[in-house]
Amino acid sequence: MQTKKFSGYRRKELFWLYLFVAPPVLGFLLFGLVPMLFSIYMSFQDWDMLSDPTGVGLSNYSELLKDEKLYKSLYNTVYLMIGIPIGMVISLLLAILMNRPLKGISVMRTIYYLPVISPIIAVSLLWQWILNQDYGLLNNLLWDWFGIRGPNWLGDPDWVKPSLILIGLWGGVGGNMVLYLAGLQSIASSYYEAAEIDGAGAWHKFTKITVPLLSPIHFFVLVMGIIGAFQSFSQIYVLAVDGGPEYSGGTIVYYIFQHAFEYFNMGYASAAAWLLGILIFIVTLIQFKLSNKWVYQD
Amino acid sequence: MKRKMKWSMLLLLALVLVLSACSGGGNDPAPSGNASGGEQTDTNAGDKKENVTIEFMGHGNPTEKSIFEKLIASFEAKYPNVTVKYTSVPPAEYAQKMKTLIASGKAPDVFYVGSAEFYRFAEAGTLLNLQPYLDKTDLFNPDNVWTQALDRYRYDGTSIGAGELYGLPKDVGPWAFVYNKDLFEKAGVPVPSAAAGEWTWNDMLDAAKKLTVDENGDGKPEQYGVGAYSLESAVWGNGGEFIDYKTGTVLVDQPEFYEAMQFVADLNLVHGVSPNQEAEQAMNAYTRFINGQLAMFAMGPWDQPAFWELPFGWDLAAWPASPNTGKTATWLGSMGFGVSAKSKHPQEAFDLASFLSLDQNGQRENYQLGQAVPNLIDMANGEFMEMDKSPENRQVFMDIIQEYGRPDIPYGSKDTQWIDTFWQNASKVWNGEMTAKDWTAQIKPQMQELYDKNNK
Repeated sequence: MQTKKFSGYRRKELFWLYLFVAPPVLGFLLFGLVPMLFSIYMSFQDWDMLSDPTGVGLSNYSELLKDEKLYKSLYNTVYLMIGIPIGMVISLLLAILMNRPLKGISVMRTIYYLPVISPIIAVSLLWQWILNQDYGLLNNLLWDWFGIRGPNWLGDPDWVKPSLILIGLWGGVGGNMVLYLAGLQSIASSYYEAAEIDGAGAWHKFTKITVPLLSPIHFFVLVMGIIGAFQSFSQIYVLAVDGGPEYSGGTIVYYIFQHAFEYFNMGYASAAAWLLGILIFIVTLIQFKLSNKWVYQD
Repeated sequence: MKRKMKWSMLLLLALVLVLSACSGGGNDPAPSGNASGGEQTDTNAGDKKENVTIEFMGHGNPTEKSIFEKLIASFEAKYPNVTVKYTSVPPAEYAQKMKTLIASGKAPDVFYVGSAEFYRFAEAGTLLNLQPYLDKTDLFNPDNVWTQALDRYRYDGTSIGAGELYGLPKDVGPWAFVYNKDLFEKAGVPVPSAAAGEWTWNDMLDAAKKLTVDENGDGKPEQYGVGAYSLESAVWGNGGEFIDYKTGTVLVDQPEFYEAMQFVADLNLVHGVSPNQEAEQAMNAYTRFINGQLAMFAMGPWDQPAFWELPFGWDLAAWPASPNTGKTATWLGSMGFGVSAKSKHPQEAFDLASFLSLDQNGQRENYQLGQAVPNLIDMANGEFMEMDKSPENRQVFMDIIQEYGRPDIPYGSKDTQWIDTFWQNASKVWNGEMTAKDWTAQIKPQMQELYDKNNK
């Protein structure tokens, strides 16, 4: 018997181990794996959720690849990723500012972190008013202060995506700032002292020490950012009604949602979801492969 | 120590059970022994009826919710053996929730069904045929309910609009033309006529020009003449159609259609009497109207409570008629009650649906609170007309129901992607990037393809 290999104490420890691991594992099996397997099956079916599904082979997938809107939603999704590098730069700068031993710094940190914990739907509704063309705060400020007639942020197909990026930045930089802050505080001061002795200035210290030593955090933020961007939905649902004008704000997940719950195409939506899943998997895999080249691990 | 382990095992087991119970949905109606005596209620035999719980799901604002809570209380008083479990979900989540419940075999007994879904539900056998129940009940006098509303809920096995009833109207929603009386008075412009056909597009344009005001001269009016003008009204009034449901032909590329669309777009592009027509702007137009910065707008009966609070006078008028035809039109919406075909208590479920749809007290309360026009013709023509509140010309609502209102576009299609594509891309015309003629010619094949793929 296998268990005989372990002493009594060890066995008891193993028991507790499995006990504590069990809830998330069971939870995953029940609410993660089962629906996933079900959706694979469904992606080969025509199912309107009302009547019984009928097998259609690969036709959901072939239809999907023919749909112009799918490519448009993919393009939109990738476009929104422009916000990731911008967000990384801002978060890092914020983290450096917040890393100073100033009075009331914790209040400042809280303020920047607040958007992260605010409910996304409520925040989106607020932004809807801020970005309103005629009554919005933003356009009124632009007019009063700079005499600029602001665009129709959420109504003009060319401005929808930049608006969404702006909102994403506001909501996202706080979380990444905290990560960078933790990273900054874990860099040993001896590196900086050594650099100073060698005559390095602030800029050199930043580019040669701070940035490279934060590379695991860059990596984490990047991977999570890309996955998050692939999955963005809630703000689209509120801010870009029906995908926005000319579907300029429709992301891939919004596309899936529409087919699943508006157009009675659950099978088709499952196929799209799997396409997305595979896409995320490939992109993440590439990132991990590339990470060997630039992420510094000590 | 061993004992402790046993306890933790038990705990784990309990946890697993709880988890699986959650996934199994604790929402099942109370199993009130329907296996033994469920048939009894159907035939109404026996004096003592068994206790039954039925589920009812709807959506709407808090006012609607509280009205329904009251209605349900009076229903339960009338049918003491029936308990109603009422769930109201936010409108935006309703479709999603409903479909998930149906798919998992847990559809509520009675639920709201909108025009786009009705066709699908009826076809898939999700909805119970109410005709046999209607034929028996004394609550229902078909001659006293708007046929324009009832006919939406008929299904003959292939198409909508004829056949037996699979639903009952919750309301009728005439989309009416509304104007700010004070602004018209101030500008000395004669108010639009409430009678259909008397006031044309040209009259409206003239009025709108006088009512568009740019006080500070920055080139952007503070007050507009007209906002969110209904494209449906313009197209139908001009003799155009979005689609011919009989043949399944999309007709947006016809001259009657694109002329009307161009007229609506030009209100902003050429004449500058309307804010941009883009869908996103509907919210702006509403805010403008509420702020007294928009002279002409559109409303449904459900807007009344908010409009009653306004500091200025307002009233209804007929939608302006097309000068080409002398006719006008608008859409007449409706939401319905459906009964699940899988309901274990179809009789009680039907009783509830018909009570909510047709009961006098319920209908009275509904219109008094400004939610709807009564479904009952005698009540609508009688006490509703005499109601001592704005709008004065409430006859316009009645005219729309009886004369020039038409079902909203999605009615009659199982799949709405074809029309969604239209609205989604229409900004090309509203922004002046393309003429209505060129754009409709370009979008029509796409719409036709989507319609054919999903509806035929």
